Amino acid sequence: QDIRNTVGNIPMEWYQDFPHIGYNLDGKKIYKPIRTKDELDMFLEKMENPDYWRTVQDKMTGADIKLTDEQVDLVHRLQKGQFGDVHFDPYEPAVDFFTHEVMIHPVTNRPADKRSFIPSLIEKEKVRARGSAVMAGEKHLEGGSCWARGTWQDRGGGAWVSRGPDPRPLRPQKLAWEQQEPAERKLNFVPQQYRCLRAVPAYSRFIHERFERCLDLYLCPRQRKMRVNVDPEDLIPKLPKPRDLQPFPTTQALVYRGHGSLVRCLSVSPSGQWLVSGSDDCTVRFWEVCTARCMKTLPVGGVVKSVAWNPNPTICLVAICVEQSVLLVNPCLGDKLLYGATDQLLESYVAPEEERVQPVQWVTATTEEHSRGVRLVVQHSKAVKQVTWHGKGDYFASVVSDNSNMQVLIHQSSKRWSQNPFRKSKGLVQCVLFHPIRPYFFVATQRYVRVYNLLKQELTKKLMTNCKWVSSMAIHPGGDNIICGSYDSKLAWFDLDLSTRPYQLLRHHKKALRSVAFHRHYPLFASGSDDGTVIVCHGMVYNDLLQNPLLVPVKVLKGHVLTLDLGVLDVLFHPTQPWVFSSGADGTVRLYT
Amino acid sequence: ADHKYVEFDFLINGQFLRVPLVTHIEMENISTEEVVEIEYVEKYMAPQPEECIFHDDWISSVQATEEWILTGCYDQTARIWSLEGKPVMTVAGHTEVVKDVAWVKQDSLSCLLLSASMDQTVLLWEWNVEKNKVKALHCCRGHAGSVDSIAVDCTRTKFCSGSWDKMLKIWSAVPTDEEDEMEEAANRPRKKQKTEQLGLTRTPLATLSGHTEAVSSVLWSDAEEICSASWDHTIKLWDAETGDLKSTLTGNKVFNSVSYSPLCRRLASGSTDRHIRLWDPRSKDGSLVLLSLTSHTGWVTSVKWSPTHEHQLISGSLDNIVKLWDTRSCKAPLYDLAAHEDKVLCVDWTEAGLLLSGGADNKLYCYRYPATASDVGA
Repeated sequence: QDIRNTVGNIPMEWYQDFPHIGYNLDGKKIYKPIRTKDELDMFLEKMENPDYWRTVQDKMTGADIKLTDEQVDLVHRLQKGQFGDVHFDPYEPAVDFFTHEVMIHPVTNRPADKRSFIPSLIEKEKVRARGSAVMAGEKHLEGGSCWARGTWQDRGGGAWVSRGPDPRPLRPQKLAWEQQEPAERKLNFVPQQYRCLRAVPAYSRFIHERFERCLDLYLCPRQRKMRVNVDPEDLIPKLPKPRDLQPFPTTQALVYRGHGSLVRCLSVSPSGQWLVSGSDDCTVRFWEVCTARCMKTLPVGGVVKSVAWNPNPTICLVAICVEQSVLLVNPCLGDKLLYGATDQLLESYVAPEEERVQPVQWVTATTEEHSRGVRLVVQHSKAVKQVTWHGKGDYFASVVSDNSNMQVLIHQSSKRWSQNPFRKSKGLVQCVLFHPIRPYFFVATQRYVRVYNLLKQELTKKLMTNCKWVSSMAIHPGGDNIICGSYDSKLAWFDLDLSTRPYQLLRHHKKALRSVAFHRHYPLFASGSDDGTVIVCHGMVYNDLLQNPLLVPVKVLKGHVLTLDLGVLDVLFHPTQPWVFSSGADGTVRLYT
Repeated sequence: ADHKYVEFDFLINGQFLRVPLVTHIEMENISTEEVVEIEYVEKYMAPQPEECIFHDDWISSVQATEEWILTGCYDQTARIWSLEGKPVMTVAGHTEVVKDVAWVKQDSLSCLLLSASMDQTVLLWEWNVEKNKVKALHCCRGHAGSVDSIAVDCTRTKFCSGSWDKMLKIWSAVPTDEEDEMEEAANRPRKKQKTEQLGLTRTPLATLSGHTEAVSSVLWSDAEEICSASWDHTIKLWDAETGDLKSTLTGNKVFNSVSYSPLCRRLASGSTDRHIRLWDPRSKDGSLVLLSLTSHTGWVTSVKWSPTHEHQLISGSLDNIVKLWDTRSCKAPLYDLAAHEDKVLCVDWTEAGLLLSGGADNKLYCYRYPATASDVGA
């Protein structure tokens, strides 16, 4: 209401024709300002009046009012759609009434409903509806829930038996429970199903648990299990990469085919030109190494268990174990002068005057056998298992498959003299070996390896292999380390200077180990096993006594075919090159280079 | 139309172009800013198989000339065949496997040839072409092991042999007069009848020792220079006059065979790994392999350079394949000749363009390969 004009809320057009425009408070007429504004005047005003744009006519009083700056500002703000008041800041931070932070007191003080403490009524309705549908047979539940099987079983005649919980989920629990730490387990027992409540036995851990509770009560300090947080990567020894340990055999190069049955044994000439192999087809074959050519085949009339080429390069002899005899054969390969000289050496033997009592018989070969190459036959009383030469080439040892004290015999070929070094039998002898340099003799029985000093004629050491059945043995050319392969797929490396227990046990193979071998010059050793592979390892022995040997498995050589569950039967290194020969049950000998 | 279709092969910087040009340039790091010269040559045609000669046993060595093929066999004989595959002569006399054979001289009337065997002797034979009779002139004794390799020098008066006793021996290849020898021989008591039949004993002119393992292959690289490869992983160059060791090239693996090409002055070696390596014999005591050709999957038993082309050679291997290589394309051979069913033991290449390979399947295969002249100007 405009207090200057008391006219009230009426349309101002009613005063159009009158000279006045309402009445003031005193009741006097308010006359319109005297102005007759015609078009020309209005136009001139528009052009010349600088304040034209901010003059408005007040409807109540009829006067022209010039708007102040604040009023103009207000008008502009309203036109932009902003809030009228200048002092109003539309961007002030909002003050939450209901804040997101958890305050001590709730917004409302309304107490919780009872339904938050009581089982849900809605769910109860749902279950009731579902259950009645199941019972009525309209709906079937998924398997796995005890509802699917039904909780009660009708025994007929009104008798109902409770089925009990489903036993199936409990079975895998036992293994997981056993593997967990005792402190981590949720329950101290494995839940077990019993036929009925009467059959549930007394709790076995009852007293233990009572005791633990008592300890807890008087705050007994328990020994903490120190859990070592070991990174499993640290436990793996840092071995050099095989690439750095070259040369070693990597691929199969040649296959020597010709034998008809499994090839049990191999030996190579000291020059490295010839290879001899003995097989179950009762023949011994001589091969040229570089071409796989079978130079000679010698039928020997019996299964060949072991062959050994005399390591002395000036004597050309091969010892072959056939059934109950050891044949000394001159293969007539290589230098004619050498094998001629060997024959002369053998012929120049003069028998001693007195008859010696020998455990074996030395028989010169018949002419027919001589033509085939056989020079001497050493007749044993039982089947011979293994023959091996001493490094100098004069003595050789043979092992008889017997359980008496006459298992091991040492023979001297130049004097044709044999002796039995042992009075008592210490077990089934598996294999024997001469030391390359010193006068030691190694005898491997099923679980132990005994080292005898031949000069002093006494037992020096007994090596405990941790294996159940030793199958083969080999000695490092330096003479201080031995490896034993056993039928329980373990290879034990013994450092004779270190201890009588194995320095390392290598479990690289999956099946029984049949044969082990060392290389004469390169730091390599190999093992052949029934899984058909030969594993070549780098075995560096240091001259420095403080440093332990470094054993690194370097290559798995595959190639043999498994026959009759047997794989590789014998393994041998070439004397000069980093090559390995292996003979297998598939009747072949393979060369890996 | 007077034109015919010819296939071409392209070379960039001496390397054959086998992959798309862009790939080749990327691989060889050739800048595309510069001008790249591409040389074109007529494509080398595949060797055409000609003959297959059956033997009784493994073929250990083969050497062919313009008219005849000489092979050494594991049945203790050497045989002479015509180029059409007809057997002409069997040279028997050794008591062990024949490991290497070589021609010394050929006339139209008579030829001289050598055979080396595992019985530690080398026999010098004279073959009368007209009458087709062969006679052992000399039996060269002296080695203490199987003689695995022989090589005749360019003057055809001397030959060198390498054996399992780690020695090299130089012998004279000139047959001496029989009368003089016979008189001398009559004074000495004859111990064995066999020496009569096998010719008169001859002793070596010189013995070269230095290898620590068996010698597998020898050749004459110059008038007075012998090159020998051995199982002790070295190739040694000797001066034939003085008998001194000139230089040694060391490798990693046993060498099976070497071949020298006077055209490119390179030695090619086959080893007991699958690679063929090229060496420069003039380099002083090093183990610098110039190029390594890899494609075989087994031991390389023998290599031979082409006598006419400076970049081509063939190699035989235990994986039953003979490969023809061009040294400019070192990633893959030009051709694979897979005719053998068993190990290839020896290869040869004649001046007339005949490739021969013999192996453990008792067969000798001959291929005709047109002798292309080398690109190097006369």
